[in-house]
Amino acid sequence: MKVAPWICRSCLTRISRSPLRRLARFQSTTSTSESISPALLARARTIASEQKELTEKLANGFDARAAKKLGQQSAIVNALQTWDKANESVTELVSLIHDPTTDAELRDLAADDLGSSRTALAEAAKSLTTSLVPIHPFAHLPCLLEIRPGAGGSEAAIFAGDLVRMYESFCNRNNIRTTFLKYENVNGTSEAGLPLSEAVIEVESENAYGLFRCEAGVHRVQRVPVTETKGRTHTSAASVLVLPSLQENSLGEADFEDPESDYYVDLKEVRVEVMRAGGAGGQHVNKTESAVRLTHLPTNTVVSIQDSRSQSKNKDKAWQLLRSRLAQARREKREDEIVAMRRSVVGVAKMGRGDKIRTYNWGQQRVTDHRSGTTVHDLDDVIQGGQTLEKVMESVRNWLIEKDVEAMIAEEEFAKK
Amino acid sequence: MPRLPYSLLWKARAVDHLLPPLVKQCRDVHAAQNELRWLRAHADTLSRPNSKAHDGLLRKMVEQRSTGMPLQYILGTEFFGDLEIKCRPGVLIPRQETAASVTYLAQLLQRAKNLPSQLHVMDLCTGTGCIPLLFQHELHAARRDIQVYCLGVDISTKALDLAKSNLRKLQKTEPAIVPNLMKFMRADILKEPDNDVPSVLPSLKAALELNRKPKQWDILISNPPYISPSAYWKTTTRSVRGFEPKLALVPKAELGGTDTEQGDAFYPRLLATAVEIDAKVVLFEVADLDQAVRVAHLARKTNAFDGIEIWRDQPDQDDLEQVPENISKDRSCFPIIGAGNGRSVLLYRGVGASWLGMPAPMQGTLEQQQVSL
Repeated sequence: MKVAPWICRSCLTRISRSPLRRLARFQSTTSTSESISPALLARARTIASEQKELTEKLANGFDARAAKKLGQQSAIVNALQTWDKANESVTELVSLIHDPTTDAELRDLAADDLGSSRTALAEAAKSLTTSLVPIHPFAHLPCLLEIRPGAGGSEAAIFAGDLVRMYESFCNRNNIRTTFLKYENVNGTSEAGLPLSEAVIEVESENAYGLFRCEAGVHRVQRVPVTETKGRTHTSAASVLVLPSLQENSLGEADFEDPESDYYVDLKEVRVEVMRAGGAGGQHVNKTESAVRLTHLPTNTVVSIQDSRSQSKNKDKAWQLLRSRLAQARREKREDEIVAMRRSVVGVAKMGRGDKIRTYNWGQQRVTDHRSGTTVHDLDDVIQGGQTLEKVMESVRNWLIEKDVEAMIAEEEFAKK
Repeated sequence: MPRLPYSLLWKARAVDHLLPPLVKQCRDVHAAQNELRWLRAHADTLSRPNSKAHDGLLRKMVEQRSTGMPLQYILGTEFFGDLEIKCRPGVLIPRQETAASVTYLAQLLQRAKNLPSQLHVMDLCTGTGCIPLLFQHELHAARRDIQVYCLGVDISTKALDLAKSNLRKLQKTEPAIVPNLMKFMRADILKEPDNDVPSVLPSLKAALELNRKPKQWDILISNPPYISPSAYWKTTTRSVRGFEPKLALVPKAELGGTDTEQGDAFYPRLLATAVEIDAKVVLFEVADLDQAVRVAHLARKTNAFDGIEIWRDQPDQDDLEQVPENISKDRSCFPIIGAGNGRSVLLYRGVGASWLGMPAPMQGTLEQQQVSL
């Protein structure tokens, strides 16, 4: 009588699990496929047709807003053209290979070419997707890095100091100028070497916000602290806040012509009304009414001035008032945005070890970014702000772009419904 | 005119005891308050504030205003665009709508690339001289490379004196106004040049020869009398009828014709003048859209112009109101630009189209012109 040999349960489950499964990575989606979502392609096509209209419009008369839009979209249109070309060559090659009338030599050549064409197509698809992602409105600005210790007591404060040095040396390596706006240790002095209480670094280069945006969040550390006497591993956290640095002069305050300026008002969006009594006007009446009313149509802001007897002086004053009111509203909106951003980055409840974005593990000498799922093992280089840190940051930036693309696809599909 | 409710007058009196007489003229407390403020500021410049003379002066001015005298005559000035133009009884007060049209024309010409280095501008029926002064001010301020030579023509000596005095006053404060390039001249523009008997009042052609002025002019602007006798009694306000010169408002009765024809009496002669002096751009002010369409048809009949446009009160604004049905038919013939009442007619030909940034005239018409030349 044959009896099945006894096998322990844990071994059974291990057998039933496919060995490949463990290798699959779920955390990130590094898509290197040559396909592109039809929704995104449709979007690119509409933008390309829009571009044609804009070009025609600009040929007739200059419009600052249209010109700016054109400049932003030109990258997308170029990427679309490259993709179209690559796609065409791949289809041609494929049809050549599948065509039974093709002679063997040609087919071999086509097969050789197909590989490189496929990679070109994949690259084109990737660049098209990336170009479709809207650039963050503040990406071009310099930024402020604010680093504070989180949960974990003095060990967290020590780690926060490590982070400050990490970013500082990273900037030094990449020739980015930094200034300490604030450096305060636990004693309330600015002496280095002691555990950190708070540090604010200003990164002065352009595009700094785009570069450091991905660093915002809780950084977790797992190590045996210097303060530990019994050799236990502690888990602590430090928070990093990244804010765009909006310097007043960088926005060109009083520049009315620059569409970037707060004071810019598109003349076409303003309705000018001079109060006129009903009736014939002209020689028929000699009214003294000189009031001017301006209405900014998109925001429905109304300014009415009747101080002076001169209509043109009233008009000038009304414009001045309208510009400053709109600028004030825009500044407030932007400040609200920043406040919302600050809250979303590090909320009161989000300071703990659980909401980490990255882990620095001394025991295993590894750094893992939990968003992109990247793990590197050269911890020392990361902490010294070297190439490895750059690699991690790069992976997070790509992850952000992918997230944006996903959101965009979802949006497009939602819009279709 | 509807009776003012007593409650309104009491409300005005509660604000200021000088306000009720002004409300009678303005029909609106806010407007009256503005006028009182300006009158008070004027009295401040003439006498010491809070003195007896000041009070008396202010009271006298309010009294004058309550009889319907235009505020501009009391204060002695009116703003025309950026310029403060002197006003005197006997000369028509400059109107805001005219300033809007003239400013818009100057703005269009500012962008022109092929303007001649000296631009000749003639203004017929110039009155206070406000149109040539504002035009030179607007264009010369933006285009320093261009000399704007202006000539204002009027039949009234009172008006010419005032225009010259306005030039003297403004040349001190406005750097863009050049006294050497601003002349005023007396002529009767309605007089036909052919049957010109030597008289005190020369025709325009004779006056140009007499004063050794050029015969060719690039731009012709005019705000002629354009109100018909019946419209004078129906649509003008009491203040206009009682205090402003009828000469500047209604064409003379001896010209004959029906009521409408008398209102339009100046335009055939003005169009003929435009052709005689070879004007490239012509701007005439009109009473309303109906008259604008009539003048545009007249201009089309002359066959001299490549383009005809009708401008409203605010030519730089988009049209927000619906065009009345009976006029929308004519709209297909002439483009109507801006918002408000129909206010002026713009004509251009030849090189004038490119000055205004309009599309160049058709090849056919250009050839025809060359043949006719």
